[in-house]
Amino acid sequence: MKLLAVTVSIGAAMLVMTTATSYAAGGDAIFKKSCASCHYTDGPAKEKTIADQLAKKGPELWYAGSKFQKAWLGAWLQDPKPIRALKYNSLTDKNKGDHPKSSAADAAALTDYLMGLTSPEVKAGVIKAAATPQAKQIFNKKMPCGGCHATEKGGGLSGPSLVGAAKRLNPDWIYAYLANIKHFKPVRDMPDFGSVLNPKDLEAVAAYVATFE
Amino acid sequence: MSRIVMTAAVALGLALGAGSAAQAADTKQVFDFYCAQCHGEKGDGKGINVTKDFATDPRNFTNKEDMEKRSDEDIRGVIKDGGPSISKSPLMPPWGATLTAAEVDGLLAYIRKMCNCKGK
Repeated sequence: MKLLAVTVSIGAAMLVMTTATSYAAGGDAIFKKSCASCHYTDGPAKEKTIADQLAKKGPELWYAGSKFQKAWLGAWLQDPKPIRALKYNSLTDKNKGDHPKSSAADAAALTDYLMGLTSPEVKAGVIKAAATPQAKQIFNKKMPCGGCHATEKGGGLSGPSLVGAAKRLNPDWIYAYLANIKHFKPVRDMPDFGSVLNPKDLEAVAAYVATFE
Repeated sequence: MSRIVMTAAVALGLALGAGSAAQAADTKQVFDFYCAQCHGEKGDGKGINVTKDFATDPRNFTNKEDMEKRSDEDIRGVIKDGGPSISKSPLMPPWGATLTAAEVDGLLAYIRKMCNCKGK
């Protein structure tokens, strides 16, 4: 009886492992074939110089599972709409909106693969979406984010749009990114706000961005 | 022994010389990467972010008369600590935690070249 139970347990464990491995490998293989020429997934961050950053054709995805919301990612891969007004790394060329589309099956496999790529810098369940007066004051007046980022009210073009951030981004990642931006992007044209705002202010701003429809 | 010291000194001198030449060339890259989105690649204040929603006019570095009024220390300070450090717009953010002192000095020299002016 004992032997049977052990055998069944091992069998079940092997089945789970096999299933998980083959599923993950599916997304991994699709990524290598279709996405890896523009995005890298083997973190931590590799960029050391501006030239390193400018050589990239698309955003790094080694922390995609911490950054994105799964439902949004799965849908976006099937129908990718521009997040940036301008082509990646360009201040002159428009984003043509020509990111390749994935089939539903490929998008599901890619999403599973990408959602498995996380950063320990992102603590789960800390930031809850909230639009506080404190956050609005910082976002709009003290450190005006709209200079570079578009919101529903308009705004700059050089940074990624924050329209739809409520569904796209993980609120905990927004905070981690603001607090320790160098971990995620050592070379980027966004200031290090973690050096000038206190953690409470950063939390408030992250919670506010997480409300953007 | 003294020959080794001399050789090392020459090698160090060459390395330093090469470094500063590379740095001069890199300053345009630093400006284009961090500043051009608002100040424009030519420094005329007409960067891509300056839409109707942009609440201020980014400094036009090619305006000699205006730029002459700014001291080198003002410019270094505003790059590192942002616009409010000289009572200007917070749309100029603080880059002190991002740029090295050498990069800030490089940008100052680059801006002075754009305005063809010295500070007060």
